[in-house]
Amino acid sequence: MENNNTAKKKEFFLVRWIKRAFFPNKEMDIYAEEQLQSPFRLVVRNFFSNKLAVLALIIVILITLTVFIAPNYVVLDLGEQDATLVNVAPGYNMMKYPSALQKNGVRDIAVGYNYSVGVDNTGKVYVWGKSRISQVVNTAKVPDEVMEADIVKVAAGADHVVALSSDGKIFCWGNDRLGQCRLPLDIQSNNRRPKFKIIKIEASDQFSAALDDEGNIYLWGNENFVELWVKSDLQGHIKDMALTSAAFVLLTDQGEVVAPMPTSSSTVTKIPEEAKSGVIAIEATTNTVAALKDDGSVIVWGAYTKNENLVPETSSKIVEIKGGRFHYTARLENGELIGWGNDRYEQASVPESVKNADIVDFYTGSFQNYAVDKNGKIYTWGLKGFICGTDSLGRDVFARLVNGGKMTMTIGALSVIIETIIGVILGGIAGYFGGWVDMAIMRISEIISSMPFIPFAMILSAVMGTKVSVEQRMYIIMVILGILSWPGLCSLVRAQMLAQREMEYVTAAKTVGVKESRIIFKHVIPNVMSVCLVSITLAFGTSMLTESTLSYLGFGVPLPTPTWGNMLTGANNSVIIQNYWWNWVFVGAIFGITCICINLIGDGLRDALDPKASGR
Amino acid sequence: MAVDKCYYLIYVYRITVNGFRIGGIVLAKYILKRLVYLVIVFFIVSFMMFAIYNLIPSDPAMVQLEPLRKSLKTEEFRQRYLALRKQLGLDDPLVVRYARWMGFIKDVKGKHEGLLQGNFGYSVTFKRDVVDVIKVPMANTIILNIISTIITLAITIPLGIFCAVHARKPVDSAIQAGTVVGYSLPTYLIGIVFIYLFSVLLRLFPTGGAKTPGSTYTGIQELLDRLYYMCLPILVLVFTGLAGMTRTVRAAMIDTLSQDYIKTARAKGLKEKVVIYSHAWRNALLPVSTSIMGWIIGVFTGGSLVIENTFALNGTGRLYWTGLNSTDYELVLAMQMFYCLVGLIGVLITDIGYTLIDPRVRIDK
Repeated sequence: MENNNTAKKKEFFLVRWIKRAFFPNKEMDIYAEEQLQSPFRLVVRNFFSNKLAVLALIIVILITLTVFIAPNYVVLDLGEQDATLVNVAPGYNMMKYPSALQKNGVRDIAVGYNYSVGVDNTGKVYVWGKSRISQVVNTAKVPDEVMEADIVKVAAGADHVVALSSDGKIFCWGNDRLGQCRLPLDIQSNNRRPKFKIIKIEASDQFSAALDDEGNIYLWGNENFVELWVKSDLQGHIKDMALTSAAFVLLTDQGEVVAPMPTSSSTVTKIPEEAKSGVIAIEATTNTVAALKDDGSVIVWGAYTKNENLVPETSSKIVEIKGGRFHYTARLENGELIGWGNDRYEQASVPESVKNADIVDFYTGSFQNYAVDKNGKIYTWGLKGFICGTDSLGRDVFARLVNGGKMTMTIGALSVIIETIIGVILGGIAGYFGGWVDMAIMRISEIISSMPFIPFAMILSAVMGTKVSVEQRMYIIMVILGILSWPGLCSLVRAQMLAQREMEYVTAAKTVGVKESRIIFKHVIPNVMSVCLVSITLAFGTSMLTESTLSYLGFGVPLPTPTWGNMLTGANNSVIIQNYWWNWVFVGAIFGITCICINLIGDGLRDALDPKASGR
Repeated sequence: MAVDKCYYLIYVYRITVNGFRIGGIVLAKYILKRLVYLVIVFFIVSFMMFAIYNLIPSDPAMVQLEPLRKSLKTEEFRQRYLALRKQLGLDDPLVVRYARWMGFIKDVKGKHEGLLQGNFGYSVTFKRDVVDVIKVPMANTIILNIISTIITLAITIPLGIFCAVHARKPVDSAIQAGTVVGYSLPTYLIGIVFIYLFSVLLRLFPTGGAKTPGSTYTGIQELLDRLYYMCLPILVLVFTGLAGMTRTVRAAMIDTLSQDYIKTARAKGLKEKVVIYSHAWRNALLPVSTSIMGWIIGVFTGGSLVIENTFALNGTGRLYWTGLNSTDYELVLAMQMFYCLVGLIGVLITDIGYTLIDPRVRIDK
């Protein structure tokens, strides 16, 4: 009994439609098929003969799939932003070191914000990555005197590079607006006639430090940002320095980590007790300092926010340590490399290839790591770059693009569904019953359509969306769009209904005694839907446009939740339009293509439905 | 069918030539009916707007009393607050407040001072009456829209006719493909692209603003300066309008060209030019005229709202946006009423114009 029932069960209507549309009944002979061709199949056939519309359909489907599937993999962290990754140009070249560097052998590598500087064994300087800071400043513009000198050490700051030559000269280039390259007088005179030997240079975001072999430190850079003073009795006893973005600490030859001034108030200058003896090296990330003690233990202090303090358990002693922006990389006694701290771009996960190689040297900075094995081969891991660049808050444009697309498309689709439901029901009722019902519904629809759309949607959104969550606001916007845009569809359905209700099949249904609601929604509406399909398709495009316009004006989905509309809001000034084109070109192009394709599909459907166009 | 159409053509001609002599009374009655309807709709819409405006949580009484809060005891403060609420009429039902705002009944000061008496409210942001605030932006918006409308129509009507006459030929397909781009892209995106092309690359026009900063031009020079700053917004408006209008004109024209009376006209050996411009075009104008009006209203409100923001042009749209952002709701409400009025009058003009051109509409009623 049960078996019988399931066998007779009708297939889902969509499956039936698709089957009928694509797999015609083979048993039928050609004449019978011609006669029995349903209007729906005719429309489908007409539509698929229009190559442009089919192409548009494929593109829209692809974009839709991408936008709904990709966010599962490209997860968007709404709170994520990083001042060092602001307006990074698209491309994966951040760690693409020049091949000449590997060929000649690495002498030193330093990592700036989004670029790296390297020196090969012949003393030649290379700069790679996003070295273009602004229209004028480009750290890749290495001065001629540097190219001629035999450089031994380099250090990179936010937008300036410091280099030390073998004869003890210090060179500095890049952005000098905040005094990053204003060398102190001692060093300037030393550059002409060496009195002392500089052995170590370091550069932080906006200031730099140099250490001579007598234990004196020289500091220069943006003094509004950092107090560039060192207690005079420390001079002559300094062995090492660690520069965070806004402070620095020193290591004395007694193995004690000290603050440069007793009055220093930064979190990193509050030196913990453990770090006051037996320290052999200090290193810094942006906000923390790590001290390596002679027993191999590492002490981290400062404002750690991304697990910089969670030094992993190691099998052997840590002998060397380097700091990036939010992570540390360290070498163990047995030659193994480990990393800890922020792992957002896998900068703290040492890859297998590096673990297997025989590493002699490694360099860390920002979000990048470089390691050199004994054959001179360079390994890299960390942040390569961003496929679509980053925006003015340092957020990945690609992640926002796919997640914003999901938002925009969801809002567009749901508001069209709301619009369709209201429009079809009211239009159907108005057209079928006529009289005062028709009169009332049409007046309401006229009132709504006489209200200017965007200003009205703006005020509704402003009034209703003030004290709700982003999600609720999203739904409010869908409802607003749906409620404000139904009149067009309503009058279309009504007009169709007026024609259909005079048809014989309606009379027949009435005679048989079918309920009126059933006649409207079961018999007439399906006949009307094909015409409405065009209007619905076009409405989908329009809804997306309207949503994005509202978001662009600041009355749609609020930031930081991305939509295609509010991603373009930031592009509304000539500096971004010109210099940071990736902020708007990718979004604009994808959004434009989507809308154009939706409209092309709508046009194709209209042509397919139009009996005149089919030539019959 | 053909005979019918010819009859109506003659009818249209007679009405337009002889004025309202034939259908005058019917037309007057029709206009009156529409006017009454407009007034009713205006009050419904304004009531809705007022109700929405009242959803905003704001308390003028509390704002007024806030400075006194510390000097008064809690109980005294509460009494003063309640008294002030009553005095300001904040506790009255919504309908009463609406009537007061509209000017139907006396307000708290005992005077008829509402919207109908020309009191549009006071702008908190600009510290001036809304009427004074609105003047300059309104002039800018009107100039912007009139110029762009004229240019758009001057381009689109011939272009649409051209496309219809050459329908389904490569030229037509190319223009169709071009226009679909125009109406698919959001206005602000076109604005951004145009800024990039014309301001950044070619350096022809300024990127935004309404006049040269710090300039003290007068007379014709001022006007030219203003127009210069409006060039790019106008260009964008024309570009966006181009697409939709060309398609409308083309569709209407194709529809008309397939009518029987066109076949008749061709059959009797009329020149193609006469057929197109004399027979077809006039009839195609009917559906076009409605969409022109609808389009103008759309541009006036939505389109220029976006454009003015993209180009930082001091127009009504920008003002509305500023008002909403700085929660200057009296300004916003007044502007919203203005927008509604523009919409309603636009519909009225369309309807009347439509009946003037096509008497069938009136006869059907």
